[in-house]
Amino acid sequence: MAPPVSTPKSASPSQPSGKSEVTDLKLQLRHLAGSRAPGADDAKRDLFKRVISCMTVGIDVSPAFSEMVMCSATSDVVLKKMCYLYVGNYARCNPDLALLTINFLQKDCHDQDPTIRGLALRSLCSLRVQNLVEYLVAPLAAGLKDHSSYVRTVAAIGVLKLYHISATMCHDSDFPAALKALMLSDPDAQVVANCLYSLLEIWTQDAANSDEAAREIEALYGKSIIYYLLNRIKDFSEWAQCLVLDLVSKYIPSDNNEIFDMMNLLEDRLQHANGAVVLATIKVFLHLTMSMTDVHQQVYERIKAPLLTLVGAGSPEQSYAVLCHLHLLVMRAPMLFSSDYKHFYCQFSDPSYVKKLKLEMLTAIANESNTYEIVTELCEYAGNVDVPIAQESIRAVGKIALQQYDVNAIVDRLLQFLEMEKDYVTAETLVLVKDLLRKYPQWSHDCIAVVGNISSNSIQEPKAKAALIWMLGEYSQDMMDAPYVLESLVENWEEEHSPEVRLHLLTAVMKCFFKRAPETQKALGAALAAGLADNNQDVHDRALFYYRLLQYDVAVAERVVNPPKQAVSVFADTQSSEIKDRIFDEFNSLSVVYQKPSYLFTDKEHRGPFEFSEDLSNLAIGGDSGDDVIHSAQRYEENDKDLLLSTSDKEENGGPTHNGSSTYSAPSDVNSSTSLVSSSTTQPAAFAIDDLLGLGVLDTPVLPPPPALSLNAKPVLDPGTFQKKWGQLTVSSSQESTLSIQGVASLTAPQSLIKHMQNNSIQCIASGGQPPNYKFFFFAQKEGSSSFFLVECIVNTASAKAQIKIKADDASASDAFASLFQSALSNFGSS
Amino acid sequence: MVEKQMMGHHVDRSICAWFWHQYNHHRNNDQMSVVTSPTHYLFPLIRHGIIFLACTQLELPPLLPIEFLSRFADILSDYLCAGSGAGATLNEDIVKDNFVIVYEVLDEMMDNGFPLTTEPNLLKDIVLPPNLVTKVLHAVTGNSSPSVGPTLPHAAASTVPWRSTHPKTTTNEVYVNLVEQLDASVNWDGNLRRCQVYGEIQVNSSLPGFPDLTLSFTNPSLLNDVRFHPCVRFRPWESSQVLSFVPPDGHFKLMTYRVKELKKIPIYVKPQLTSDSGNCRISALVGVRNDPGKTIDSIIVEFQLPPCITSADLTSNHGTVDILADKTCRWSIGQIPKDKLPSLSGNLVLEPGLDRLHVAPTFQVRFKIMGIAMSGLQIDKLDVKNMPANPYKGFRAQTQAGDYEFRS
Repeated sequence: MAPPVSTPKSASPSQPSGKSEVTDLKLQLRHLAGSRAPGADDAKRDLFKRVISCMTVGIDVSPAFSEMVMCSATSDVVLKKMCYLYVGNYARCNPDLALLTINFLQKDCHDQDPTIRGLALRSLCSLRVQNLVEYLVAPLAAGLKDHSSYVRTVAAIGVLKLYHISATMCHDSDFPAALKALMLSDPDAQVVANCLYSLLEIWTQDAANSDEAAREIEALYGKSIIYYLLNRIKDFSEWAQCLVLDLVSKYIPSDNNEIFDMMNLLEDRLQHANGAVVLATIKVFLHLTMSMTDVHQQVYERIKAPLLTLVGAGSPEQSYAVLCHLHLLVMRAPMLFSSDYKHFYCQFSDPSYVKKLKLEMLTAIANESNTYEIVTELCEYAGNVDVPIAQESIRAVGKIALQQYDVNAIVDRLLQFLEMEKDYVTAETLVLVKDLLRKYPQWSHDCIAVVGNISSNSIQEPKAKAALIWMLGEYSQDMMDAPYVLESLVENWEEEHSPEVRLHLLTAVMKCFFKRAPETQKALGAALAAGLADNNQDVHDRALFYYRLLQYDVAVAERVVNPPKQAVSVFADTQSSEIKDRIFDEFNSLSVVYQKPSYLFTDKEHRGPFEFSEDLSNLAIGGDSGDDVIHSAQRYEENDKDLLLSTSDKEENGGPTHNGSSTYSAPSDVNSSTSLVSSSTTQPAAFAIDDLLGLGVLDTPVLPPPPALSLNAKPVLDPGTFQKKWGQLTVSSSQESTLSIQGVASLTAPQSLIKHMQNNSIQCIASGGQPPNYKFFFFAQKEGSSSFFLVECIVNTASAKAQIKIKADDASASDAFASLFQSALSNFGSS
Repeated sequence: MVEKQMMGHHVDRSICAWFWHQYNHHRNNDQMSVVTSPTHYLFPLIRHGIIFLACTQLELPPLLPIEFLSRFADILSDYLCAGSGAGATLNEDIVKDNFVIVYEVLDEMMDNGFPLTTEPNLLKDIVLPPNLVTKVLHAVTGNSSPSVGPTLPHAAASTVPWRSTHPKTTTNEVYVNLVEQLDASVNWDGNLRRCQVYGEIQVNSSLPGFPDLTLSFTNPSLLNDVRFHPCVRFRPWESSQVLSFVPPDGHFKLMTYRVKELKKIPIYVKPQLTSDSGNCRISALVGVRNDPGKTIDSIIVEFQLPPCITSADLTSNHGTVDILADKTCRWSIGQIPKDKLPSLSGNLVLEPGLDRLHVAPTFQVRFKIMGIAMSGLQIDKLDVKNMPANPYKGFRAQTQAGDYEFRS
């Protein structure tokens, strides 16, 4: 039979003609299947190439499966390879047809040529068809004992593939043990590496439910195996070296001599051409020396050069990843890098995410010796075409100013920025000058002189405007025209869209009033009037609050609004040191690139705001905002009843004012706005909100039958006090209660019960647990008194039982409270 | 166009579509080296307009996939471009014509997500590159096997994994090429802010047998940090700063190094911008500062016109000035003439409402100097041992501009 006519040009892979192409191919393949003509192999080869092109482009060529298999009986290696590729791709969707290929693959596993044996074995393992597993075992076992190392490497990985298809089959055939033996004895480094790779994966997965696997894993991290691998490290391929180094980084050496031996052995790895190896070595070094402070410092010195080279010499992708690691190190030990600051200068061609990292590093390493240079460089960037980077660099200058003692020069620079008359530069600088003044009030004279010249009309950015207004209020005594500037701002109240600016304006006018009352009186009146009419709740409430304060006593008002302030010494850090340490432990991993510990982005479940904590002292960590402990009890209120809550004033002098509305009782002559919350209106309103959210379905707001005892709707208790009280008081009442079926059903997460109890004026302070067991700590306060009730409630949803322990300041009321609590609990789900 | 290989568990092809969407979306901004998609973490690598993408769901050392991809890209272009003549770069069509090779190479390089063989020499033993010879053979005899080696890599058994035991070279020569990249940035006032050199020693060896080479420098103390090809022995370097190695066959990177804090730059640009009532006068001068002693070639000065500029009128007394579509202004100078200094001048019209130009463009310069390494590194000599006949040895050096910029 003559080879088929060459196919028309339309068959080019870039323009797939779809179905007809496939049938055409099928037909031609069938023609060729039995052919033994001299040119048949070449024709087949062309056809196979076309099939694979189609497959790659995305056309489903699986209908040709049986024809392909028929054609595969050949001695031509190229054809075999292409056929393996095809089979590997389609076997999974055609398990029945895949059976056809087993025969020739098994035959190829006994071929003369080790390349073919290896390829066949790899393809066989890559079929990944469940019911063909039995055919795998024998070739694999043979493969592991093959005299060609190529076949053994393939077989070692093949075992892993088998494990993923059927773990039991893999264990039944005793492959892990065989792999281990091979790993410890094989002369070929690649075989050893592949065995190690497979074993690590198999045992790590098994370790969860098998002690034996866990022990094996332990053994892998043990001295003998680590030493065995380390001694051969130079034989391994670069990728295998990464694997071994990763293993070594988990090994804990017994004494310092061992550490030094290992480091000496590995030192030359730092000069490896492969960046991955270098980084893995660095990780080993850092981990080994964790406990030896001085050596740890030396390690930093040693790894500096390789890292800096990697950043500069690699591809852009590589250099970003390395830069992230460098960033981490710089943040940990800024002093060590302080002489290398020039390396972190931004290049024009750097992408902006790289520039951002570099700016952060420059900020961190600035110290007495290099501040001048760094700030000069940063000032260059302020003229950058890239606006975000220009802003970022101004911010960096400000941060350096906040870190340093020698602020003089920097303040000058910042003030120069103000003279550049670029909107975004001015805006950014104003915010910084404000922060700077909070830390170094002594600079106020220089700054105020310049800030005073800035026209408030030219600034649009709310944050900057707020900063300017803050300064106007704070330094109104030094700025001649402060009252008038404020007055004109108040006149334009309507045009001010940002509530933040309006809030600041209110406060600034107040402050100005205390200092220069006659000049400001008019502005204050206008501001308060505008504030009261404002439709933003926060602004309205703050205006109301100020109004009442002033009515009550001007002196008290001044004490509350404008108390003498202490200079801020340290601004809060955004990322806790605990998290930084965690990231450091995960050096050389994606965590560093993301700047988050891995559990934050790999565990999907980790998002819950509450974690179970037996010990109440851990509460702050469980919550999402550690700096807000005092508010933690109110957090749910704030979330749910945002509209109803009076503003808890977040002014810098926060403390004494933060539940202002209850401290100062409402005078009757003030317009009685509906939003003014008194405790009596809270409960129905809260139900209404819940109704809107579809949480509690209820026709009429049926309150739990109010017994003699009534509870304060919004008690405040911080976790510390709670814990103290819990420790001091004795259990006044201990009961067991049953939950309704509906209640159990709706208790899928602690939050639902917390909400429900809140509607009954019982607040939750901590909760946690996994189904079916939940644990809650509640508290409530008797209306009109200071006596608290504390409750520990353990709910088991499986048995629908709740165990309640109540402690009370006032033991006499505890029974009444207990019944109230129980009825609230039994109502859960039905209301 | 997409293509890929699945390892371990199944990765849906739609991830490519997702990435493509993101990529187009962010094209004007910057691309991150790790992208988070809803299901996977992606490592894109872009070479010659082809995107290589790796996906993972697990935590892993980030450099591993990145290094692997770049290695794969290198090897692929080595494979596919060698056959189609010198100077060819990898492109879509070449890949399309060679799907099978791509699959075969990838198959050997990675198994179940774990990199396997990545040494080009070894790979070529297993998967033959589609070179001219095999093409001709194929055409003439009609029955050669163009892409599969008949035997296993011998090096698998040899003590030096990067060198097969039976290289088939008939020539007897070795070339050493010093390639340096000069990074510098200069402030508006002419102050050199920083200047450093990244260099590479590229070796092309085609020596028979089992040669043992020693390369020494006249001034090795210059080097700040070095990284070696696995073939370099560390001891001799530590003790006497010489590179002793058994070379792989063909082209490879023997060493990369960095020299920091250079004081001299070969070429300077003096930009000047003065703006006044909606117009901005721009002028720039280019000249040689510390004459390197060799001609400076293919000089190109580029700068980005700020977005607030509506039109620009630029002329030069030497070379050509083009304004590209993305508002990049490219001034191709070539060589600096002997009799005059190349200068560029012109007028930029600002957006209505703007009085003066607030932003300062950065001038980037590209050039090439053949025959000299700007860091001053010099090769002393190259000894070849273990060889029957003395081979031909060739040395070259070359410096080119990397991030070479002048701020205005």
